[in-house]
Amino acid sequence: DPPPFLGSWRRVYGAVLLYLAALIGLLYLFTQTYR
Amino acid sequence: MRTLDWIVLLSSLISIVLYGLYRSRGSGTVERYLLAGRTMPWYAMGLSIMATQASAITFISTTGQSYTDGMRFVQAYFGLPIAMVVVCATVVPAFRHAGVYTAYEYLERRFDAKTRALASLIFLAQRGISAGLTIYAPAIVLSVILGWPERLTTTLMGATVIVYTVLGGIKAVTWSDVQQMGVIMLGLVAALVTAFTLMPHSVSIGDAVYLAGAAGRLNAVTTNFDWNDRFNLWSGLIGSTFLFLSYFGCDQSQVQRYLTGKSVSESRLGLLFNAVAKIPMQFFILFIGTMVFVFYLFNSPPLLFQRAEMARIQTSPEYPALEQTYQRAIERRRDAALDLARAHRQSAADPALAAEYRAAEREVDLARTRAAALVERMGGEKGFSDTNYIFLSFVIRYLPQGLVGLVIAVIFAATMSASSGEINSLATVTVVDLYRRHFRPNASDHHHLLAARWATLFWGVYAVAFAGWGKRLGSLIVAVNVVGSLFYGSLLGCFVIAFALKKVRGTATFIGMIAGEAAIFWTFFHGGISYLWFNVIGCAVVVGTALLVTALWPERENQRV
Repeated sequence: DPPPFLGSWRRVYGAVLLYLAALIGLLYLFTQTYR
Repeated sequence: MRTLDWIVLLSSLISIVLYGLYRSRGSGTVERYLLAGRTMPWYAMGLSIMATQASAITFISTTGQSYTDGMRFVQAYFGLPIAMVVVCATVVPAFRHAGVYTAYEYLERRFDAKTRALASLIFLAQRGISAGLTIYAPAIVLSVILGWPERLTTTLMGATVIVYTVLGGIKAVTWSDVQQMGVIMLGLVAALVTAFTLMPHSVSIGDAVYLAGAAGRLNAVTTNFDWNDRFNLWSGLIGSTFLFLSYFGCDQSQVQRYLTGKSVSESRLGLLFNAVAKIPMQFFILFIGTMVFVFYLFNSPPLLFQRAEMARIQTSPEYPALEQTYQRAIERRRDAALDLARAHRQSAADPALAAEYRAAEREVDLARTRAAALVERMGGEKGFSDTNYIFLSFVIRYLPQGLVGLVIAVIFAATMSASSGEINSLATVTVVDLYRRHFRPNASDHHHLLAARWATLFWGVYAVAFAGWGKRLGSLIVAVNVVGSLFYGSLLGCFVIAFALKKVRGTATFIGMIAGEAAIFWTFFHGGISYLWFNVIGCAVVVGTALLVTALWPERENQRV
């Protein structure tokens, strides 16, 4: 079954992991800004 | 609880049950009753996965945790997207291709009947404990805060869940989960907005966030490594990846959610929706707790939020001096917070003001710690903490009429969505992996459908009875909850072998699982490390032992998957 976007499941998984990295980065910045 | 609150609470509960039953029409075969005929769309699965994972304690405890300890608990979810990707790439297509009803059915095809039976029994033991606690834990809190008898609350929640779970099967469970997630999000947004609106007019949202940060409550990412520290970036990324691999790959209460999907694609999208939405949702819940903390900077919080224990220490001769010290610290902290907020608005950062604010905050914490120690000395609970009472105390005392009912509906909805998933999956494993496999393999589909309904009723009544009996466990209840999480590592090791080590057979895996379980229990009693690492240790011991046994005594078996 192909995914409905991004063309392949491998790309979808890559996008999810990139999203996680970006989220952790944002939360780290948030922590540093307000400590 | 006033009239409008009761109307909101009861109408929420009734509409959830009726909607679940309405959407569950046509559940007249075992496959439809237990797997919705594999017709579920991704968004229903995704919301159901999130609702099953979030129990009432998630909301009660998480908000209290960020009030006292800040937001670092959010790190415990960093491994979830990684686990979702691994599960989507390996477990989902394997289970779907094999056409199984349960995760443990797959183990018999890959290994043998004894490995399937052991994994099923481990699941029943662990989820059985958890199902009772899911209902019992919020009942204790509601009984202290609202004065409701625990038995009334557990029976009301349990009976509601039993009605729609027995009658409607997994379709009713999934669609009521969708609605329950709606109630949960609505209630949480209402609580956050109220916390903001009740703050002094001179304190803006920016000031509130700044004050929470200055008190160390916005510590969302902590990079120091410490085995004993439950939540940091490393235990979050490594430990929680293993925890969520176990939970979503080996725990039937979650596996059953995504086995109902129309296709592999739909199942994957449901899980990836959870991967994307879960961390922001937990961040949001924790953020509510920090805003309740800021709210209490300007509104005197009680020395202890647990009223029964507060009444206990008020009889002590030490209490008047302690209360006086606490009130002085609260006033000092309020003045320092107002000064700091004013300086922040004028962009005039003053380290001396921030130091004064933090010193006052430490004084408040010290008084609360002394009060907790006094509770213990006066015969109260060992390791007493009022974390679970903070958020609901705030709700009951400060939220307007109607919104209190909505937040209590959130507690009920979260309890019911977690509990219905557990009861439904316990019944599925009981019927598919034990009854149909070992006792009545040749009976008709209708016979097994009836067996599934009776098993659902049995586990529902069991959960309510366990919750009623939970009172006798007292403070052991927390320990039992931890024990419930001790079984995942060996199940995960078993599935890692099933998917990744094709040469290892049933007997070696069976021995590995027993060794893994022994290692986890030894670590629990002697290791003193964070529970997030238990799954890593258990999984490693299972795989290592099975490989060793295979090397020493190679087996010959047919591998059928």
